[in-house]
This record gives sequence, structure tokens and C-alpha cells, in this order.
Amino acid sequence: MNLKNYIDFYALLQSHKPSREENRAFGLEIEDVNYSPFKQILLWVQKYEGRLKKPLLSQQIGSYLYGLTLTLAILAFLLGLFSGMGLLSYSGHEPVNVIYFLAMVVLLPLLTMILTFFSMLKAGSSHSFLVHISPAFWMERVLQLLPKKVQHTLKELPLTPQLTNWMLIKRSQLLALLFSLGLLVSLLGMVTTKDIAFAWSTTLQVSPQEFHSYLLSIAFAWRDLFPWAVPSLELIEQSQYFRLGENLDMSMIQNASKLGEWWKFLAFTTLFYAIFLRFTLWLFTQWGFRYALLKSFLSLEGSTTLLREMNEPIISTASPKEEQLFTSHEKQYGMQIAKLNSSYDVTLGWAMSSSELTVLNDTMQVTSKDVFEVGGANSLSEDSAIIAKSQGNVLFYVKSWEPPTMDFVDFLEELVIQVEHVTLTPRGTSNEKYIATQKELEMWGRKLETLHLKKVWLKI
Amino acid sequence: MTSMHPTFAVVGHPNKGKSSIVSTLAFDDSVQISDTPGTTTKKRSFPLTVDGKVLYELFDTPGFQRARRVLAWLEKHEVPASKKHEVVLAFIEAHKDDERFNDEVQLLEPIMAGAGIIYVVDGSKPYGEEYEAEMEILRWTGQPSMALINHIGESDYSQEWKRALGHYFKMVRTFNPMLATFSQHLLLLESMAQLKEEWIAPVNHSIDLFKAYHEQMFERSANAIAKLMYKSLSHVEQFALTQDDASKEEREQIEERYQVVLRGLEQTSQKQIEQIWNHHHLEKEQESLTFEGVDLFSKESASLFGLTRKELLITGATGGAMTGAGIDLMFGGGTFLLGSTIGAVLGGSSAFFGFNELSDVKVLGKSLGTNYLEMGPMKNINFAYILLNRTLFHTTKIASHSHALREIVQLKMGRTFTEKWMDDTLRKSLEKYHTLFRSKDEVKAEVLSEYEVLIKDVLKHLID
Ligand SMILES: Nc1nc2c(ncn2[C@@H]2O[C@H](COP(=O)(O)OP(=O)(O)O)[C@@H](O)[C@H]2O)c(=O)[nH]1
Ligand SMILES: [Mg+2]
Repeated sequence: MNLKNYIDFYALLQSHKPSREENRAFGLEIEDVNYSPFKQILLWVQKYEGRLKKPLLSQQIGSYLYGLTLTLAILAFLLGLFSGMGLLSYSGHEPVNVIYFLAMVVLLPLLTMILTFFSMLKAGSSHSFLVHISPAFWMERVLQLLPKKVQHTLKELPLTPQLTNWMLIKRSQLLALLFSLGLLVSLLGMVTTKDIAFAWSTTLQVSPQEFHSYLLSIAFAWRDLFPWAVPSLELIEQSQYFRLGENLDMSMIQNASKLGEWWKFLAFTTLFYAIFLRFTLWLFTQWGFRYALLKSFLSLEGSTTLLREMNEPIISTASPKEEQLFTSHEKQYGMQIAKLNSSYDVTLGWAMSSSELTVLNDTMQVTSKDVFEVGGANSLSEDSAIIAKSQGNVLFYVKSWEPPTMDFVDFLEELVIQVEHVTLTPRGTSNEKYIATQKELEMWGRKLETLHLKKVWLKI
Repeated sequence: MTSMHPTFAVVGHPNKGKSSIVSTLAFDDSVQISDTPGTTTKKRSFPLTVDGKVLYELFDTPGFQRARRVLAWLEKHEVPASKKHEVVLAFIEAHKDDERFNDEVQLLEPIMAGAGIIYVVDGSKPYGEEYEAEMEILRWTGQPSMALINHIGESDYSQEWKRALGHYFKMVRTFNPMLATFSQHLLLLESMAQLKEEWIAPVNHSIDLFKAYHEQMFERSANAIAKLMYKSLSHVEQFALTQDDASKEEREQIEERYQVVLRGLEQTSQKQIEQIWNHHHLEKEQESLTFEGVDLFSKESASLFGLTRKELLITGATGGAMTGAGIDLMFGGGTFLLGSTIGAVLGGSSAFFGFNELSDVKVLGKSLGTNYLEMGPMKNINFAYILLNRTLFHTTKIASHSHALREIVQLKMGRTFTEKWMDDTLRKSLEKYHTLFRSKDEVKAEVLSEYEVLIKDVLKHLID
């Protein structure tokens, strides 16, 4: 996991969206990692990164950041190297005071590490209480060193304050580490190429005994393992010097060869405080950065949707095929009558009993010679027989609420061959007092319209 | 001849609601439903699939058209009961290309391929003998069957229907596709499972899936709503100025744009929610989101769609929104107070609340040398509640809208809608998030999902 994956992920979410089906299929393919949303995202990015436009945004940004970091790293190393050389420069007149070097490799690292620690605690918030130690503040300065175009791209990136803060904290630790390495290298270099006399001196009233105990506590981490890397009380006594005039203490001159022994202690102090502790902190920031990155992955717009698409089964209930469109014509049926005659030659009722038909005729005040029940439970031959018996003017009742089936249409078509005139009368239920609704009448009208039967009139 | 998964064929007389029932059961609003008989001309499959795997399949079929003729054909063959289904197969074989029997062939095919029969009738109209031929044909198929009584109209003839149907079907159930709730839907599935013993397990599995599906819909809706709320409240509209200061037109323009964006967000989210609930063809009528003082912040609309004045006062004071409108509210609407008399304040003119403003319009100097005019994020406390009310109302309507309905949906929020879901505690927790959304602070993904959970609970409460 790294920034590259993150930027690729962002670019993929921006430009290329696989369908829900594709995502689910992939989710099932990598089902064995579905306990970790993060692994799923990484695998997803791997699968689709090929679709990204080249050059990759992540590569562009990565190489700029790399270049920037490398330049700064070299500078930091050189700075360390030169500061070391400055501190250890030995003219031959005066011994080198170890206190300066100690301050550089103990106090400075400890102080900056505490500051780092604070900024790590505040890394999550965008507005820091101490703006100058806020990494975001420095990030902005640093970014201004980049070309304008890259600055713009960076602004577009979804870098949360937390992420930028961690990026900066992580890099600052790396730079500090390189600075310390520079110091160490200069120490080792100076010791091997020159013959340096180390000494210590301070304005404060510090006895060699006290100084020894300070040094012992500085060396707490290695004093038991490598006792030779801790200056002895004797050495300390011998190497104390006072800057009184040009003359050196005689005892110092006598022990000049011993004074070089200090370098072991200095090297160990550098190794432990400036390098080992810094390295540990650097590892820690690495972890913090990863954590921030992980958070950013999951809070990127579109990532929850993607995870949902990968992990949620696609349930579908709809028909996979489009239905053939049915168009009904709204034209009104042309042959309508509003009033029934007072008498008909035959009364037919589709799926109605003859007693019901008699009641209907009475209600409508219509008389008729013959009354027949057709359709319903009749057999087809019974119906044909009735048609054969019918002639003249036919009053034909149908249930208004029952849609005309083809069975009915067959009958009607056979009937009109035989008779002169059919008055089709949709009737409502007895609850409705046999009155058909407007909608039902329209439905019957639409049906008749499609049949083009010349002798059929619709009673409305 | 049984297929791997349970299948069901919805059959019956034309125009009795077969397609309506299928579209409700399948959450599919693309089915053609009309009061013209013969709208459905081909059988149509509605599979319930999970990741492409079919769990069960529902068939919508055309209605019976020439039942008596088909029955007459079948009855010409004198066979023992054990052979009757072969006669039906022979009928299909013989009439495959016969136009006249297209509908019957279409509806018999899935049945003969092993589908359970769901025979649909309309219980609001009287029973008639003409149905008997259809039921007799279904008996010839030898497939397990049940009857469903639908109620298209007001009257009730279900007693006579039950008596008649009892002769042909072991199981008779009532189901109204337009009004059925989700649990009634599941109950019907349970009954369908009873048709064949070996279907019980797969149909129960399908029921579980339906529940999961329903849950997904809730989650995705809550997600869409949370996003809408966050985006609307936090939205900042910017545009580059030509001069150092903004002209009156430019100020009006940014206000206009800001409102267009908010309206657009609402529309997009409504579309999204309609898609989530599978209403792809929905037509609706609703009042659009307005920002004019009268509509949004008047005494009436505030209590109708957002919070009442009292609630606003409490919310403003407790929600931690002690900036902008919140302070205005506490101290009697800063700018407005200056212009209005004490009497007007006590009388409670709408200006008193300081909610007439949506957000500040500010001119910003930017590093690149251009000045920007900026509007947003939202300052108005009530806006969140108006928007939330609207979107919850819309979602509730959509979620309980039958897929069989084809009319235009009327979205008219009643006076009591807010009371249905909000109480003081809920309002307080909501306001915490709204305040955060309105601030320019980063809103973490986990915070947004907390809000989402809150919304989901409200939706469940409203819809179930
Ligand atoms: N009010 C109401 N109308 C219904 C109901 N079921 C069906 N309809 C209406 O009845 C008509 C026929 O419905 P449809 O599903 O197309 O019937 P199908 O021919 O059997 O498929 C349509 O106009 C539907 O709107 C119902 O439960 N209530
Ligand atoms: Mg239909």
C-alpha cells in the first residue's frame, strides 16, 4: 500500500467506473479477502489500473515527490556532514569541546522528536494551534518549490489534511535521519583522517564526577554492553579544560593520546540518539502514514459504493426482457345508440341465465320473442344451434365488467352472418343496478372498433 | 419435467390483474398494465436472481381467450386421469403455430414445463360459469395450483368466489397488488411454496433474499439521503470575478446558481431513490424546492415542512449552531433586528428568526490573483429540515408505491408528516450532524455513516 495505489484508486474512481455487475463478479472472485475492505480495494485497483491513461497521475506525482525528497535528502545529509565537520574542526591549538557535539546529537534530536510527537498527535486536524509546527504549514511552503503545473495537480488530489500532515512528518523524519547520518560520517571521517584531541569545558560549575554521572546516564543504553564506549572518570578528569589563555593544561598534553578515546562515546551517542531513535520514530511515522492512507482510501468518494457493489449480492426480480409495446387506439366506436328499442326478435345473454335475462328485459322495458343463454356453460354446438335459430333484430346482453374474450368474438362474428342487426348491451352487476360504467363501455367500444362488424351497435 | 428452480405461472381471465400481481411481486414497473384486455400477448418471465443464479421464476401470461374451444379439444380424448397432462401437451404441440390459440399456448407452456399455477380472479365482481372451462383446463394439466382473489373494485363477492374456487383449488388466498405491503408479499410467497413440497426450501431461501433485498433498498436509500444532506448543506458555490468587487448582477447570479445546484442535488437524489426502489418509469407531481422567503421561511411553511418556530429556537440554542443564523436567532436576528421595531420582533415576523438568508455571499481574494465570489455553505438551520422532510416523504411514498400503479404520483406532504418521525431527541442528534455539515470542516466517512444509520432507522419507522 502506498500513495501510488491511492492516487491510482482516485484516478480510477474519477475516470473509469465498471458496472455494478462487473464489480460484483470481481468481488466474488476475490471473496477470500472480503474480511478486509482495504485488500479488496487494492486488488480492484490492480485489476483496473491498466485502463488508466498514461502517463499515470500517480507516476507523475510520485516522481516529483521522489525528486523533491531526494534533493532534500542529499541536502540534509550534506548539512549534517558539514555541521559535523564544523563542530569537530580541530586547529591543533585548542581541543574540540565535546559538549557542542553532544548537544547536536542528543538535545537537538530529542527536542525535534518531541515536536514531531506533538504534530503526530495533531495530524488529524487541519487547523493547528501552533501553525508553524503544523506540518501542513510547511507542506505548503515545500510544495511551492514544485512547478506550477504539478502544484495544480496536487491541489486537485483528494489529499486530506491528515494525509498531507503524515506525508510531511514522515519525510521530515527521513531528512533528520539523513542529517544525523551526515554527522556520524563526519565524526568517523574526522577521527580517521585527523588526530583530534577532545576535551570538555563549560561555564557552569560542573565537577568531573558530576559530568561523569551525566555521561553515564546519557549512555544508559549501552554502558553495560559496551563499557569501553563510555569515558572513564579518569579520562574526564584529564580532558577537562578551561579556556584561560593560550596555554594548555600540562596533564592534557601528557595524556594527549588518550583524549582521542572520546570518539567512541560520541559515535555511540550519535548512533543511539540521532540515528536509532530517529529511525524508530521514522518507522512509527511510516505506520502513521499508512494508517492515514488507509482512512483516506475508505473515505474517498465512491469507495463505499464500490465496496458495497463488490460485497452485496445483486438481487434482481425484474424481467430481463423488454415487453413488446402494446398500443391501444383511443378512437370512439362509431356505431353507438343511447336508447333501446321496445322490442327485439331475440334476446341473447353471454354467460347469463334465462331467468336473469328476463329480469333484465323487464328492467329495460324491452320485450322479445325468444330469450337464449349463450356462452357460459354452453357447449360450442349448443351456441351454434342458437345462432341458427336467431334472426332479425338481436338484443345481446354482456357483462360489462368481463372483458370480451375471443370466444365471445367468435360467437359474435358467427352471429352477424345470420341476423340483421345486433345491439350489444353491456350491463353492470345487480349491485350497480345493471348500469355499466363509462370505463367499461369505452373498453367495449375499443374492442368493437377493432372488429369492423357492420351490423353491431353498442348501447351506451 | 420439472426445472431446477420453482416456477409459477400467473394465469386467469383477461383483465383480472395478472400483470399487476406479477409486477408487484417482481418489483418491476415496466410491465404493461391496462384495462384493455389482451395487453399481454406473450408469456414473460420474471426470475428472482442472486448474482445471476435463478432462485425462482414467475411468469406473466396472456389471459384465456378461447377456453371452451380448448376444453372441447381436450375432452375429445377419452383418457384416464394419469394421461390427461399428455393430452394438454399434445394440444400445445398441435397448436403451436395456430394464431387462434396463441394465448392459450403461451399460458399452458410454462405450466407444462413444471410451473405451479396461480389462478387470478377479481373478487369485486360476481362469479360466472364462464370461468369453469378455464379451471377445468388447468385441472387437465395436473400441475399444483392455487387461486388468488384480487379486488379491483369496491364490491365484495369473495364469498361466492371462495365457494366456487374451492372445487378446483386446494388453496385460495386474497392479494391486492396495489395495496399489498411487503409482509403480505412475503406471506403470499410462503403460500406459493406450499404448492410443492420440494419448493418449500428454495422459496424460503427466496424469502430470505427478498428480505435482504429490501434491507439493501433501505440502506441504499439512507445512503443517498445522507449524501444529499451533506452535499446540500456543505455546498459552496464559487465564481471568478471580473473586477475586484462583485456587481449586483454577479451577486444575484451566484445566488441563482447556488439555488440551482441545491435543486439539482435534490432532483438527482430523488431519481436515485426511485431507481433503488425499481421505479424506473415513475411520473410524479410535486411542488419544487423553493427558496423564496414566503415559501420556505414563512410561518406557515416553516411549520409545515421544516421546524416550527419553537423548535427552531430550541434547535438553534442547543444544536451548537451558535454561528450565523444561530446567533441571529438568539439575539433576535441581528441585521433584521436593526431594521425592525421591537413590536415587530415580539409580534414574530418571519424576519425575527433570521432565517431569510440561506448563506453569506462573500468576496474572496485568491492567491492566483483573481477574486472570487463565494456562497455557502448553508447557514439556514431550517433548510436542513425542510429538505430532509421532503426527501423522507418522497422516499416513503416511493418505497410503498406499488409497482403495478401507473398513475402519476402526487407528492403532497401533509401537515403532520414531521410528527410521524421526529421527536426532540432525534432532532437534537440530527442537528449535531447538520451543524457539522454546515461548517467547513472535513466530514469523516464514519461520521457520515453514523448519520446514515440514523436516517435508515427513520425510514424503517416510516415505511414498515
Ligand atoms: N384498483 C385496482 N385496480 C386493479 C387491481 N389489479 C388490477 N387492476 C386494474 O385492472 C386492470 C387490468 O390489470 P392487468 O394487470 O393488466 O390485468 P391482466 O390482463 O390480468 O394482466 C388494470 O387497469 C389495472 O390497473 C387492484 O388490485 N386494484
Ligand atoms: Mg396482462
